[in-house]
Amino acid sequence: MQEGMPLAPQLAASPIAQMLWLIPAVPIVAAGIVALVKQPRRKMAAGLAIGSLSFSLLLSLIAFAHVVAGWAHGVAVRETVNFSWIEVGAAHVELGWVLDPLSAVMLVMVTLVGLLIFIYSTGYMAHDENFTRFFCFLSLFAGAMLGVVISNSLLLLFMNWELVGLTSYLLIGFWYQRPSAAAAAKKAFLTTRVGDVFFLLGMVWLFAQTGTLLFYDSGAGSMEPLALGGLLVHPAALGLTAAGAIGLLIFAGAAGKSGQLPLHVWLPDAMEGPTPVSALIHAATMVAAGVYLIARVYPLMHAGALAGGTTTALTVVTWVGASTAVFAALIAVAQNDIKRILAYSTVSQLGYMMAGLGMGGVAVGMFHLITHAFFKALLFMGAGSVIHGLHEEQDIRRMGGLKGAMPLTFLTYAVGMLALSGFPLLFSGFWSKDAILEAAQHWSVAKAPFYMLVFGALLTAFYMTRQVSYVFFGKSRANVDAHESPAVMTMPLAILAFFAVALGVIGTPAWPWFRAFLEGRTASVDFHGFSEPGLMTLMVTSSVVVFVGLGLGWLLYGNKSSSAEEPDVLERAVPRLWAALRDKLYVDELYGASVIAFYYWWARVADWLDRNVWGGAVALIAYGFNGWARLSRFLDTNIVDGSFDKGCEELSTGGGLLAHVQNGRVQTYLRLLALAVVVLAAILFWSSRG
Amino acid sequence: MNYLDLFRVTLPETALEVAALVVLVVDLAFLRKAPLQARATVAALLGVIGCGASILMMLFQSQNGLSYPGTGELLLSVGGYTAVAQAGILVLTVLTLFLLIDSNFTRHVGEYVAVVLMAATGGLLIAAAQDLLVIFVALELLSLGLYILTAFAKHSGKSAESAMKYYLFGGMATAFLLFGFSYLYGIAGSTSLHQIMLAMYRPDAAATAPLLYVALVMVAAGLGFKVAAVPFHLWAPDTYEGAPAPAAAFIASVSKVASFALLIGIATAAAHVFGDAQVARVAVVAGGTHSGYRGFGAPWSAILIALAVSSMVLGNLAALAQTSVRRLLAYSAMAHAGYILLALAFFSYSAESTNAILYYILTYGLTTIGAFGVVAVVERATGSDKMDAFLGLHKRSPILADVLFVLLLSLAGIPPLVGFWAKFNLFVAVLRVSAGVVPFALVALAVALSAVSLYYYLQVLKRAYVMPAVDDTPIVAHPVTMGVLILIAASVLALGCFPALLQGWLAGF
Repeated sequence: MQEGMPLAPQLAASPIAQMLWLIPAVPIVAAGIVALVKQPRRKMAAGLAIGSLSFSLLLSLIAFAHVVAGWAHGVAVRETVNFSWIEVGAAHVELGWVLDPLSAVMLVMVTLVGLLIFIYSTGYMAHDENFTRFFCFLSLFAGAMLGVVISNSLLLLFMNWELVGLTSYLLIGFWYQRPSAAAAAKKAFLTTRVGDVFFLLGMVWLFAQTGTLLFYDSGAGSMEPLALGGLLVHPAALGLTAAGAIGLLIFAGAAGKSGQLPLHVWLPDAMEGPTPVSALIHAATMVAAGVYLIARVYPLMHAGALAGGTTTALTVVTWVGASTAVFAALIAVAQNDIKRILAYSTVSQLGYMMAGLGMGGVAVGMFHLITHAFFKALLFMGAGSVIHGLHEEQDIRRMGGLKGAMPLTFLTYAVGMLALSGFPLLFSGFWSKDAILEAAQHWSVAKAPFYMLVFGALLTAFYMTRQVSYVFFGKSRANVDAHESPAVMTMPLAILAFFAVALGVIGTPAWPWFRAFLEGRTASVDFHGFSEPGLMTLMVTSSVVVFVGLGLGWLLYGNKSSSAEEPDVLERAVPRLWAALRDKLYVDELYGASVIAFYYWWARVADWLDRNVWGGAVALIAYGFNGWARLSRFLDTNIVDGSFDKGCEELSTGGGLLAHVQNGRVQTYLRLLALAVVVLAAILFWSSRG
Repeated sequence: MNYLDLFRVTLPETALEVAALVVLVVDLAFLRKAPLQARATVAALLGVIGCGASILMMLFQSQNGLSYPGTGELLLSVGGYTAVAQAGILVLTVLTLFLLIDSNFTRHVGEYVAVVLMAATGGLLIAAAQDLLVIFVALELLSLGLYILTAFAKHSGKSAESAMKYYLFGGMATAFLLFGFSYLYGIAGSTSLHQIMLAMYRPDAAATAPLLYVALVMVAAGLGFKVAAVPFHLWAPDTYEGAPAPAAAFIASVSKVASFALLIGIATAAAHVFGDAQVARVAVVAGGTHSGYRGFGAPWSAILIALAVSSMVLGNLAALAQTSVRRLLAYSAMAHAGYILLALAFFSYSAESTNAILYYILTYGLTTIGAFGVVAVVERATGSDKMDAFLGLHKRSPILADVLFVLLLSLAGIPPLVGFWAKFNLFVAVLRVSAGVVPFALVALAVALSAVSLYYYLQVLKRAYVMPAVDDTPIVAHPVTMGVLILIAASVLALGCFPALLQGWLAGF
């Protein structure tokens, strides 16, 4: 392994780094303008949103090219622009943005996938009456997400993070007339909030320990050796260092956003939102923000690890990720809603990414994030195309035989499905999943995650085959005639399908460009990469696993024309297990019986206290204040004004200014003034004696 | 110091005076036949140009031997807090001048602008004054201008009434101030603030302690009148209610900035000599003649605390019961003055307190000008400044309602508006300067009372947004007025989102 490249000493940020803030700012401004646009002006709303994101894509590509150019010259680029936000005496809070390989890659992915989904949405949402509102939210989301990506400060990241959460809430509940959509939006917001509270705690702790929330600040940032060294010295509870404890708190936030166990419950429900939203927010970008966050604070998570070792925080990340991967894949097997299957699949794949981060480092997790973003967006948009073609039908049991009616959708969907399943050699998903499995194989702590992830891969291939068989093969069980979607929807599918295949090239063992790029090392084509010990075995194993999964799925579901009401093959074989999986292993029910029940009880107690104890006290204080205020007004109007009015009356009868000066008003005022002076002086003399 | 230096120090004031004369000449000589609107516009613009020239002149001020800390016989300070306050005064004056364009309370617009500029000159001098005589003359220059401005709406009985009250009360307060000054001169044998502060720590100073206390209370009465601190506040509600809106905005902002700058000047002088005088002070205490003697700082703080607490409590509580928005703003001004007095009572030699107070008073001035601007527009449309005149404002003029929304919430201290950071900085400054139960309790009181203040601000907003309108006719204002109001609201929002902008600027002096 070569040593990492030297960091370029940052004298002044390059022009593109200086302008990086425009990338999130332009879509946000566009959202603001769209918000003011009247509903009928659809073209303008969509044009503004798409135009602004195209501009962001352009800037992102320039930024990416800048980083690649620096990297090609053997210099790891990390340019930061920081500015002071709040000053309180000597203390100040700084915000800023950073351009490095990690943010550059994410920028390009988010803007590219986002742009394709924006274009797709103009077709998908064409008949919705709230078209402009949709694009306003979508644009705001894109801006906030890009803000998360470029943040060089945990605080700025958190602000954008919350903004992303807000837009997610707004978009899940976009069809708020449906009670289920409104409930799902609420659930998503509240569940992610649980994680965010821990995130906030971690942030405050980090600030208290290091005095800065900047990631990189030419040596003084919180992710740089000086601060990390300080964090390692401080012990926290349970044998953790402060670094580990803060890392775990931040991970809780990431777990909420990325749907990790046990906070995954909101993500499948979030499918109530329009399908482009599911593709953009709940598959490609926002849910990946948690993974990105962990990659961003990886130096913190990794601090204190010996060579080849790991830390408590990373171990926790790994176990949570691996468990989520298997858990969600199991549930996905027994779902019948086309989007819910994909949702659980997303949860499962996010688990893979987390596990990859935990065991293999930033490059492994991020590579899967990037490839997954493309093929999962593709799958969601394909599902959207199917739903669109079947007039809002989402139950896969009422589909079937669509490969003839929707050939383009079928082809692209098949590409996405094979990429997700990890079909060997040809598809990007194979390479990114293999990198995670390889890391799991070499993990020093335990071997169980490896077996869990292999099992998950088998399940993935199986449930995707089941879904595709139900939807595209066999005879039609639908009530309506399917039709292919318009070109504005299928073109983005084709482009995404291209990337779902092609992206694998940059992450093969022979040419690990992506990894080298992120880790700041040089990359070269070297087929000896395949001859590393165990690698070939692993590749063969995972290929076999995928084929077994695909074969099993095809065997059970392939080309069988079951009627819509006929129970599933597996349901007949193992009815109890099936029921458990279908009901999502009862996590929601568990929460309902524990957390939510407790809250109901606590709310009733609080309500009782409020009504009977606090309410009385507050009312008492309110009466007191009210009385005082009335007294003040009385004094003001009757004594002060009253005497003046009386004076004026006398003035008008007596006439003349001199008479006015000599009448009662002046006496009142002066009496008060003189009295005040005397009282003050008395207080002063009295207090100086003591 | 020679007269050339003095002239170069007073270049900004000179520019304003010249501008005042130009306005008078132009208005009286060339525009006698022109329509009122045009005359108002020309006069206001000339005034604005004068203020701009004055700001430019600040760049050419001589700092030769005059910048703080200066010589023992310092008359005027240059730079530091003075420069910030002077720039603030000029900018706020510009904003109040813009409010004139759309108003019709007087036909004598030339005189009005001239008086505004002269009063602003007084403000500039107050912010720089380091000598009792200069302070007194400058205060009079400002105050006399304000009395005239209050009385400017000659057709309005209210205006005359309130001006009379203001004038009589102000005259008495000034008399107290002068009396206090004479005692101070008697104690120290000098009119220079620097020399007076040094004299507090002379070995024989303890003998004059009773005289000093009386002097300080009288000075506090005079200055408390300027900043409308309870119990020297009696003029404020009537004046705010009766004065023409642009004049009321001027009184509420520019005059406050100047007076608080003077209080900063006094506190700075005291803090500045404290280091030099420390040795002498120890000697005095060790001498044991009067162990109760505590120099200037302690009794001054005690007075300011008393004023601060009474202002915060009475201002906030009395505001709850108001039905007139102008009177409400008057009482809320007392409350805000109370918060600032708290920071002055716990003052530190470092720039922290100074910057926090300047930040507060400048942003408060900006916000309150905007609030008076909205009140003026509503008043012209409805003929009343009662709360019920704001019913359905959201329907009648959405932009005006939104501006009012931003400004009032900023006054209440809601983030992310600038009022929040102003309060935050101010309270942090108090707590940093002095640890202890008393400052903590006072800050807690201030925070609790600013929560109370939210109630009466929301009363206005509730009428503007929630309650049904009695009258649906749209309210239109002059585009310049609207532009200024929107600009003010936008800066309140922008400074709130990026608080370091203004903080960085303040720290640069």
